[in-house]
Amino acid sequence: MGRAERIREVAKQILEEKKVDLVIGFKKGTHPLMAEPVSIKDPKEAELLCWDSFCTLNLANYLPKRKEKIGIVAKGCDSRNIAVHIVENQIKREQLYIIGVPCEGMVDKRRILALLHGRECMEVVENDGSLIVKGEGFEQTLTRESILRDNCRRCMHRNPVIQDDLVAWPVMERAEGDPFDDVKEIEELGPEARWKFFTDLIRDCTRCYACRNACPLCYCPTCFVDESEPQWVGKSIDPTDTMTFHLLRAFHCAGRCTDCGSCQQACPMDINVRMFTRKLNKDALELYASEAGLSIEKRPPLDTYRPDDEGKFIK
Amino acid sequence: MLKRFLEHAGIEPERLQFSWISSSEAGKFAELAREVIEAVRKVGPPKKLVKGRAEVS
Amino acid sequence: MSDKIILKERMQDFLEALRKTREVLLPVKEKEFYRLKPFTGAEKLDPQFQNTRLSPKGLVLSESERMFEYRLGKEQGAQIVHEAPADYPPRVVVGIRPCDAKAFALVNRNFDNPEFKDPWWVNRLASLTLVGLGCDEPCSTCFCTSVGCGPFHEEGLDVLLFDVGHDLLARAITEKGERLLMEAGVRQEADDDLKKKAAQLKEKAEKKIRSQVPTDRLKDKKLNDLFNAPFWEDVAFACINCGTCTFLCPTCWCFDIQDEVKKNQGDRIRNWDSCMLPLFTLHASGHNPRTQKAQRVRQRFMHKLKYYVDKYGDGVACVGCGRCVNYCPVNIDIREVAKRMNAL
Repeated sequence: MGRAERIREVAKQILEEKKVDLVIGFKKGTHPLMAEPVSIKDPKEAELLCWDSFCTLNLANYLPKRKEKIGIVAKGCDSRNIAVHIVENQIKREQLYIIGVPCEGMVDKRRILALLHGRECMEVVENDGSLIVKGEGFEQTLTRESILRDNCRRCMHRNPVIQDDLVAWPVMERAEGDPFDDVKEIEELGPEARWKFFTDLIRDCTRCYACRNACPLCYCPTCFVDESEPQWVGKSIDPTDTMTFHLLRAFHCAGRCTDCGSCQQACPMDINVRMFTRKLNKDALELYASEAGLSIEKRPPLDTYRPDDEGKFIK
Repeated sequence: MLKRFLEHAGIEPERLQFSWISSSEAGKFAELAREVIEAVRKVGPPKKLVKGRAEVS
Repeated sequence: MSDKIILKERMQDFLEALRKTREVLLPVKEKEFYRLKPFTGAEKLDPQFQNTRLSPKGLVLSESERMFEYRLGKEQGAQIVHEAPADYPPRVVVGIRPCDAKAFALVNRNFDNPEFKDPWWVNRLASLTLVGLGCDEPCSTCFCTSVGCGPFHEEGLDVLLFDVGHDLLARAITEKGERLLMEAGVRQEADDDLKKKAAQLKEKAEKKIRSQVPTDRLKDKKLNDLFNAPFWEDVAFACINCGTCTFLCPTCWCFDIQDEVKKNQGDRIRNWDSCMLPLFTLHASGHNPRTQKAQRVRQRFMHKLKYYVDKYGDGVACVGCGRCVNYCPVNIDIREVAKRMNAL
């Protein structure tokens, strides 16, 4: 039985048995390359739930501060963010019924569009290992490998780390390759080149805050950019203010980010904002042997003090 | 992590420095303050992440 | 007005001629999407071009605009708020789509009416000429024909170009457009054959619009019925309240005015704002009437599909460009919402 059917089955069951008040999952989008997050309360609505290669957003984003009992569909990265939310007291473990989905990676609609060279995609048929993209007068087969999202290519935890149910056999974790070679590439540049890289990266930023809002970690009641007494950051598209926003938002995610890629996915200007947080993820691993959200027993790295913590930078 | 992060973004490492100083270590504070000022002076006036009048479209 | 011809092989000359007297903006592909960039001589109109990622509204309603400035101090001019010096050099956009042009006409109601005239908007729009390119191949997410627009709609444009095969038929719609064509040396009149071809192109394109969105009953619905409809929570669930839809939308016009001060210099700046963001309706008293996500989502759709309809009586505040449908990170689809509202 496919993942989608199993998800529908479990969702229907837990709603019927009143184990949860609602189930958060995905339904088919109105666009062939998208899936829309949905919350269902009626077991009959379980039919709406779907699972395909376009279920890219992190559903844990919808959890903070909710009071109900919630069933939630979670792939590897999502489940880690759920763990982070539990540790950070944004939701209680008892409230959740986690429908875990082992994931082999989601697909990046931007890569598909780039490969279509201006032709419009009207339909997608998924097979194992490939997708057939159809449009007016054409049909093109693309291997999943060629259109995987950046973060899915480097994913270190494909299987959910916390779950109440698993809808498929666990998948093999990615074995080879250095997950942080993209960060190392930037590290190897000189300071001026690095500054230029980041300045160019956010040149198109319109301050829409899609990255911040799609991020499950950004749940502050008032974001620092919205603070007005005092106003820390200007609201125009001034490059310094924009850089400040991105640097500081990334740092607020330090040690907590699971590289789910929702920020990059949501950005309407196709900015790869993950380049900020990935450096922090690499450092958290190197300095504190920490990866966010692997367990609900562990505190986040910037929340913990150990006597053997790296201290050479302190004079 | 902040130090590494800002340096990664291209900001000169001399501009952000850390030290543990107790309120009774006045001498250490003064000395370190002078050191940091010297180090930052050597790097020169900041050109990155400087907000002047807002650059608008 | 008149219909003239621009030979396709002379298109670059046309752009060069325009460049002599004004800045020419063309949709150019950068990264994976198109944006309007100044013509420097090398760029061409790309046949694969559908539409720009950001709407051209930023040309007239700037993303961040310095409106006023002021200084402390004692010298001449200090302690007074002055209008920030701004110049409005003449510009022309070649290749704007009819939906985006109609959007300018629509938004113009807000910034240029008997009650209020926004000088920045009025001046910028006056100095801008719009040469539109009709859509021969509308996208599947375009629904312009459902909202009073169309792939060859002329409202808001100064000139409309039709690709009639070997050449382009250039229809001057306004006096400004007529003058522009004269300036660029476009004199050859189009014969009846080509005019017929152009009309056929329009018909063909209109039939190609696949997305039909019912909006006919919106004006008859009672406002309170729509406001209190049960589907808003459902529609709004996925929304992450970012500003994507509002910033990409050619008809969204909301802005925020901020004062920024550095030492003795102050600037009053107007930035794009979004009703999706939580601070949009924060009052100075601290009260915020739209703290809940569903309230804000409802507000946006009610404004576009009901309040505007009631206020002006000639259709919705949407031109069917489809950008919000394509780029909403969670696939909230205005077409679906309109359907639900229309069917209530």
